[in-house]
Amino acid sequence: MPPELAVEWLGTVAYAEALERQRKCVEGVRTGAGGEILLLLEHPPVVTLGRSARPDHLLESRESLAARGVEVHAVGRGGDVTWHGPGQLVGYLVVDLQARGRPDVHRFLRDLEAGLVEAVGELGVAGGALPGMTGVFVAPSQPPRKLASIGVGLRGWVTCHGFALNVDPDLAGFDAIVPCGLRGVAMTSLARELGARAPRDLPARARDAVARAFVQRFA
Amino acid sequence: MPREIKMPKLSDTMEEGTLNVWRKREGDRIERGDVLLEVETDKADMEYEAYVSGTLVKILVREGETVSVGTPIAVVRLDSDSDEAVQALLAKHGGAGEAAARPAPARERRPAQPEEEAALRAPQPGEPAREAAQERPAARAARAPAPERLELPPRESRLAFFFPDPDRVRATPRARVLARERDVDLTEIAGSGPEGAVLASDVEAWLQALEASSQPALAGDVPATPVAVRIADELGLDLTAVTGSGPGGRVTKRDLRGFLEARERGAPTRAVALYGDEIKLSQKRKFLTRQMVDSKQTAPHFYVSMHVDAEPMRALRDRLKGEGRRVTYTHMLIKAAALALEAFPEVNATWREDGIVKFNPINIAVAVAVGDELVAPVVKDCQGRGLEDLAVASDALIQKAREKKLAPEDYSDGTFTISNLGMFGVDAFYAIITPPQATVLSVGRMRDVPVADGGELRVRPRITLGLGCDHRVLDGAKAAQFLAEFKRILESPQELLAEGGEHAA
Repeated sequence: MPPELAVEWLGTVAYAEALERQRKCVEGVRTGAGGEILLLLEHPPVVTLGRSARPDHLLESRESLAARGVEVHAVGRGGDVTWHGPGQLVGYLVVDLQARGRPDVHRFLRDLEAGLVEAVGELGVAGGALPGMTGVFVAPSQPPRKLASIGVGLRGWVTCHGFALNVDPDLAGFDAIVPCGLRGVAMTSLARELGARAPRDLPARARDAVARAFVQRFA
Repeated sequence: MPREIKMPKLSDTMEEGTLNVWRKREGDRIERGDVLLEVETDKADMEYEAYVSGTLVKILVREGETVSVGTPIAVVRLDSDSDEAVQALLAKHGGAGEAAARPAPARERRPAQPEEEAALRAPQPGEPAREAAQERPAARAARAPAPERLELPPRESRLAFFFPDPDRVRATPRARVLARERDVDLTEIAGSGPEGAVLASDVEAWLQALEASSQPALAGDVPATPVAVRIADELGLDLTAVTGSGPGGRVTKRDLRGFLEARERGAPTRAVALYGDEIKLSQKRKFLTRQMVDSKQTAPHFYVSMHVDAEPMRALRDRLKGEGRRVTYTHMLIKAAALALEAFPEVNATWREDGIVKFNPINIAVAVAVGDELVAPVVKDCQGRGLEDLAVASDALIQKAREKKLAPEDYSDGTFTISNLGMFGVDAFYAIITPPQATVLSVGRMRDVPVADGGELRVRPRITLGLGCDHRVLDGAKAAQFLAEFKRILESPQELLAEGGEHAA
């Protein structure tokens, strides 16, 4: 039987709450009590520090961020520092790589990129991946403009965390950080790339496109 | 046998990993399935679980360190392990390298069993002898030479020690047939028949034991029988270099024998000599590499070239110099490009998805080598600007580039690129197009050449221009017309000096 991938849209969820939800999903997949799932959601403004985050990539003090209502979390995913907030589609993908045979972390990251490239392509933006810079960029662009960030965690071979696609966030949110530790990379969004071509219901379309691309790729 | 935990290979393309977090400390009890550590490769952080139960006796790689796949990162003692075996393995790691240079971090450890603590502590050179009466038996054992290693014969005869001649293994015909069918190496099996002969039931039992001892494989792990793993550990062999012939492609004892025999015969180890250190690339360089591959693979390139009579350019430069105005050939090339692109707006364009889109501005990128890096600052909005205006703008950018002070907007949004290798003595060349542009001009050095001029032989300065084109955007005829216009402008000083865009096409 091919693995099923459930997709759930959770709306806006606080970061800590989403972490707990993910933890349960990972346990479910590991024990066989639950199935593989893609959680789609948005976070209130939050800055998260991955395992290889460098302190100087946080450009604003924690106090100042707290005063603006931005939480800071250190999390068990790969990668550096990033920002989440309204207008950004966050996807947490919990799948068992071993159950699919020949587990391979890099291939999984490339699959995430390919799924997102497919989704943004459906929305009319030509996306691409860059070697050594996990994530999805507008292709071709110089300097690179980044559409989506990727950072995953694995417990054994069960994945968690995933990606954050900028649909139409206030990109000033990224000013507090050096996104993913990449200086000289500009953050962009689907809305910015599409300009006047952006449909009114872009957020809903982005959710649908991402869900379709991932179900096709991971189910 | 105590186990070495190695940097896991989480991907076929993973060469090294960063040890992010130790979730257990030296001396901690670990159970199969406990998270031992977190390791990161690329943008993935894996909680790596213990596949055996025992005690974490030594951490070999600290948090934050990046090591190659397969590098031992810790030593785990199984409950069944003897002090001697643990000590022997620790001695292997303590005998050389950074770990030995550090003092044993006894105080950092959580309380461990005192006997174990003493047993696991490697003897330090020059350590004052403790009173014999205070020493516990286990500690004495730890200080004694490890018997397991002493029993080994000298290195030269190890091959014979580990590998009895496979032809002389006693086995029943049924056992031989079964072994052949199931790829079993008979030299690994202790026979239970008369005179130690291997029986078919021994082969079956061995296969069952192998099945039971199998660990979950990690990507890129070399499958091997436990005996082969032990021998490879003892001899310090890299199993990745050995081809397995056992069940499920596992490396067996006879494969190791074959490998060692080949090595002793002096079979070439070419891979080692062929490749040296890897040169680390900056993110910028990686980006450029990918961009060039993309460009050359997706944009169908073709090239046209023309020789330009450089006498007018030389005369113009000298004349302006005499008037105290400093203008270089690069400035003239930028001006000529602006004029030619104005005359051929269809060349100042890009291929997008399935059509041609014109660029609004004329933004000319000038490729500059700065140290090992190639940068191309962009002179923006060149249309209608005079030669000296362009000279000032481009000089400022090139200066910024040499000082590595270019801001992203200084090298963004070029619509046409000029690359000049004349100063390196290059006569002519053809650069790769920078996406999303459709053309690139490659400029060779100015050189004096004999030319036939009205039936007479003269020596004139020449420059060779090469134009690389994206065939989706323009064809050969268009490229030729554009380049001819470029050449005409460079050979017409009055056009180069004209302000604004009033030149007649």
